[in-house]
Amino acid sequence: MTSQNSPERWDIFCAVVDNYGDIGVTWRLAKQLSAEQPIAITLWVDDLKSFSHILPALDPELVSQVHFGVTINQWSTPLAIAYQTGNVLIEAFACELPEQVKTSLIAMQQASKLDSSAAKPPLWLNLEYLSAESWVEGCHGLPSMQASGLKKYFYFPGFTAKTGGLICENKLFEKRDAWQLNLQNRQDLFASLGLSGIEPIDKVVSVFSYETKALLALCETWQDSEQTIHALFPKGRSLNSLQSILPCSIEELSAGMQIKLGNLVIHILPMTDQEGYDKLLWSCDFNIVRGEDSFLRAQWAAKPFIWHIYAQEDDYHLIKLDAFMQLYCNNLPPELAKSWKVLNLAFNNEQQELTASHWQKINLVDLPLLQHAKQWPIDAINDVDLVSRLVQFVKNS
Amino acid sequence: MKTAHELRPGNVIMLDGSPWVVQKTETTRSGRNAAIVKLKLKHVLQDSSTESTFKGEDKMEDIILERLDCTYSYFADPMYVFMDAEYNQYDVEAENLGDAAAYIVDGMEENCQVTFYEGKAISVELPTSVVREVTYTEPSARGDTSGKVMKPATITGGGTLSVADFVKTGDMIEIDTRTNEFKKRV
Repeated sequence: MTSQNSPERWDIFCAVVDNYGDIGVTWRLAKQLSAEQPIAITLWVDDLKSFSHILPALDPELVSQVHFGVTINQWSTPLAIAYQTGNVLIEAFACELPEQVKTSLIAMQQASKLDSSAAKPPLWLNLEYLSAESWVEGCHGLPSMQASGLKKYFYFPGFTAKTGGLICENKLFEKRDAWQLNLQNRQDLFASLGLSGIEPIDKVVSVFSYETKALLALCETWQDSEQTIHALFPKGRSLNSLQSILPCSIEELSAGMQIKLGNLVIHILPMTDQEGYDKLLWSCDFNIVRGEDSFLRAQWAAKPFIWHIYAQEDDYHLIKLDAFMQLYCNNLPPELAKSWKVLNLAFNNEQQELTASHWQKINLVDLPLLQHAKQWPIDAINDVDLVSRLVQFVKNS
Repeated sequence: MKTAHELRPGNVIMLDGSPWVVQKTETTRSGRNAAIVKLKLKHVLQDSSTESTFKGEDKMEDIILERLDCTYSYFADPMYVFMDAEYNQYDVEAENLGDAAAYIVDGMEENCQVTFYEGKAISVELPTSVVREVTYTEPSARGDTSGKVMKPATITGGGTLSVADFVKTGDMIEIDTRTNEFKKRV
């Protein structure tokens, strides 16, 4: 264990399931904990190659390295670097901890039972997925008694005061406001990403979704729009939906390319880090996002968005989507709320005509929608962000 | 061993060397289809209860205890009294029945299994399905007959659950007691 004079040391374990979802959240958490709290953070990741896409400075071949003050260790089986118990151990999204780690926790637990002066095992947390469903309040912070006698706690991010809160760095909203106030920032960002031909008055939409026919319907609508719409796509799953209107195969596309289809200009984005992605969301008029990390960042961007939620068995994801939409639309004018909800639902249900027709009803310069998008982050954060609540939770446990 | 997802009210599990009776289970879904199970547990030997959360696939040591087929006799607050085939009576604390209490009604004919720990009756497991009368539900709003549209209903004994839209007050319905789900109209 760490001595009383040294800062606390926390370990976070992350198993990468898709490319950027789990690692996106845990990397944000690790960075913020390291930057804003007197805590030494070690992040264990089982797929450094995927991680390097959102942290280009990362060397996937190194077993241990430090970035943004966070020690990043390769999580290999068996562990190449011995796990040394710290104060807190977080398993992200219910990943299964390495055997060596579990063994050492049990050994500490048994030793502390026999000798009260022996070091106790670290506080063990399972950081869960973000959901707006009401049951989250009843499960947040509950212990999970293990057969070994160890206790693990379930920590649920969420939108209400009775949940674990939302990841949001200190001063993020001030930084965003300052960025959005100076229109030149947007033009400079697009230029730095190699995106040409975007005029200040043009509408710009970022697209980071899974495959869906609804996206094709939107692009066909944008082709016929009255003004130029620039759609920014990273090279990934979203583009699979557009093969029928692209003049070449997806493999032939590369960053910086642009394809003009009527009044729609499709741009292929280069890969960017998390800070770059945040600025992209701040700079677009509308964002289509997926998963958990980009979903939350779209909210923090204070711009209208569509959330393409990860599909679950029996369409359970639609319950999660509905729970969020109910919260998000609380203070929206009813007609606007209805259009926004139907647009999101239709997009997730791959309903092409409904998606296209309700896009027409969402006016990108609609003041109530923009005002709501700006107020929502302040309401959603509920005074305290996830990291602050997490640190308090650890202190109280 | 049972997974947390398989546990039902009345099961007894061993955690940290102590037996706990499951009083209530609540399964929800986290991201990527993973189940999360919230359990209300009562210590078998001490007067303490706790709520605990588990991954659905977490394995639990369920204790195989002596069980006897019994029928429900009467309620003597705070004890439910059950009787075996030889007319022996066993008292089970109402609190130990947890959610199962909603299905215990006067005159019920279904056999229950009373579980014993060190000679003491500690919990009751219900049959997996029971038939109960719907004492109140709103009239059908949509005339739906597909069974996909659900609405709340109260059943004999005071329990509530979601039933198909075509179910009416006074109907007899079959319920899965493991999940508190409507199965069909009888």
